[in-house]
Amino acid sequence: MKLYEYQAKQVFKEASIPIPVSVLIENQSELNHALDQVGLPCVIKAQILSGGRGKANLISFVNSKEKAESEVKRLFNHEIKIKRLLIEQAVDIKQEIYVSITVDPFLATGLLIISAEGGIDIETLAVTQPEKIIKEPIDLRYGLMPYQASQIAYALGFSQAITKELIKVLMNLYKVFVAYDAELVEINPLFITNSDTVVAGDGKLMIDDNSMFRQQRFERLEGDYKTEAEFDANQEGIPFIQFDGDIGLMCAGAGLTTTVYDLIHYEGGTVANYLEFGGPNYKKAVKAMEICLKVPSKVILIVTFGTIARADVMAEGIVDAIKRLKPDRPIVTCIRGTNEIEAVRILKEAGLEPLFDTEEAVRKAVSLASGGIK
Amino acid sequence: MSIFIDRKTRVLVQGITGSEGSFWTKHMIELGTQVVCGVTPGKEGQLIEGLPVYNSVKEAMKHHQFDASMLFVPPKLTKDAVMEALSAGIKKIVTIADGIPLHDMILIRQAAKEHHAFVVGGNTSGVISPELAMMGSFPYWIERVYKKGNIGVMTRSGSLTNEVTAMIVEAGYGVSTLIGVGGDPVPGTRFAEFLPLYEADPETKAIVIIGELGGTMEEDVADAIKNGILTKPLVAFLGGRTAPKGQKMGHAGAIISGGKGSVEDKIKALTEVGALVAERPRMVGKLLEKSNVPKN
Repeated sequence: MKLYEYQAKQVFKEASIPIPVSVLIENQSELNHALDQVGLPCVIKAQILSGGRGKANLISFVNSKEKAESEVKRLFNHEIKIKRLLIEQAVDIKQEIYVSITVDPFLATGLLIISAEGGIDIETLAVTQPEKIIKEPIDLRYGLMPYQASQIAYALGFSQAITKELIKVLMNLYKVFVAYDAELVEINPLFITNSDTVVAGDGKLMIDDNSMFRQQRFERLEGDYKTEAEFDANQEGIPFIQFDGDIGLMCAGAGLTTTVYDLIHYEGGTVANYLEFGGPNYKKAVKAMEICLKVPSKVILIVTFGTIARADVMAEGIVDAIKRLKPDRPIVTCIRGTNEIEAVRILKEAGLEPLFDTEEAVRKAVSLASGGIK
Repeated sequence: MSIFIDRKTRVLVQGITGSEGSFWTKHMIELGTQVVCGVTPGKEGQLIEGLPVYNSVKEAMKHHQFDASMLFVPPKLTKDAVMEALSAGIKKIVTIADGIPLHDMILIRQAAKEHHAFVVGGNTSGVISPELAMMGSFPYWIERVYKKGNIGVMTRSGSLTNEVTAMIVEAGYGVSTLIGVGGDPVPGTRFAEFLPLYEADPETKAIVIIGELGGTMEEDVADAIKNGILTKPLVAFLGGRTAPKGQKMGHAGAIISGGKGSVEDKIKALTEVGALVAERPRMVGKLLEKSNVPKN
């Protein structure tokens, strides 16, 4: 689960990582109070989960109350749904650096990544100027050792005062990484100020989804989702992504669903949504179809090839879903795996025409989506 | 012959008394796997499929010898169960748990390396040598998928493995040993770490890997080919070629790794060292034929 910037910064503050003075507002009327706390100039930052806010003009630097009012108004009325704005004191910046801690799957360690080139896209920098990135593996059995933090901080060549602050930030950032079962904790940019302090300019904290049973502090609310379908899927724990194409996918198995997505594109089709109801969700056909029906699409394509996710159980679920939900669009089925013969019988009995070959099913869905014969 | 498991491999089952544990233990035995006993804390004295159950691995060791441990243990308890097996000196461990915390998996992989052991999984169906033995949950009774032969298969997926393996069998081939390394971002053992075993196995004539976007396991395989660790023909199928950039799709494998991990990168790395990459599952069989892999 990805946290909002203001949530990540709240965590940073609790971990003694300096952040700018800021106030979170949820409507225009709260602005005056926020400005009293924060002062001018300030930065108004849209709290949304997608990146690239700067380029999308969702972060504004303002130096007057009038400008702050008009910017807050603009952002709250933006076409993308913005529910919260962070009003933040402007920082007197000398330099911006990049710091993160993530995981190295090969070494089986944490990985501290730091670069004196801050405020940029680290993935791009890794390709164009890999020599500007320092990486330090962290053995999770011992944690980040002070010598490691110190060695890295000194390597960046800052003054003694800044280096000491930087070491503290690194040590505290590692505490956040562990305490929150993070897959990524990132400060980009980390500001070095003209008064030689170090302040987190942004905050990204991604909590490992598999650790949510022991990470219950933050939860996502309905208003945090782009669509109702997305919210419903998340409530059910069903992996789901909405696109704007024609074919709704209701498949089982992450790899298989991704492959069906590819095959649709090879055949010239487009995808309305990715939905994967395999694994622990294989008995949720009714809910899965309900979600798919909330997405505008021309056809729903169901492809499975399960082991524990038995084909006969899924076929029964699909038949039940069709009876209950009476879908307004054609359904193409290709259900294979454990008890597949029985699955075919169940689908045929319900008047469906089950297919047995993934590519054939994909072609049929693409043809139906483009107005072909049912 | 096969790698990892055969009829001589003596298998312990941790979590044998749970519904999945007992169900798949029965099937492992039916296929021909030598399961010797089980462990579930607090359930000592029970019999599952006629096999004795013990409270701990240490207790089980007083009465039996085993070479491998199969875990049917919930994700939250997996780290503990793996550590118990490793501390008992077991060198082959398979865990099918789906949902093991990321930081737990890092510690598991670290411990496995330290003990020079293979931990396979989590989030996998396990390991199978069709018509011989398995550790895990495979529908081996579907003959159009699980047929014995000379192709070594490694995969990150479950359902997609059934799909691709069915195509391998449709082309007239079969499988020597199939290893599901699992769909998690940090698997206990990575693709490339099994390659020396496949290379040494006289029964395996070619390798098929079923990968997807995210991570760098497929790139590691390309490096192993470049370094001569694998000389047998290799065919790859990779899901997520058309996945939108920056979107997490499929398994949770897409963690930042210096701009690496797109399917394009993987195809480039693999084809540069002479491996063949199939665009569709059905092409896998055709590419094996193109590589002149004999059918049996």
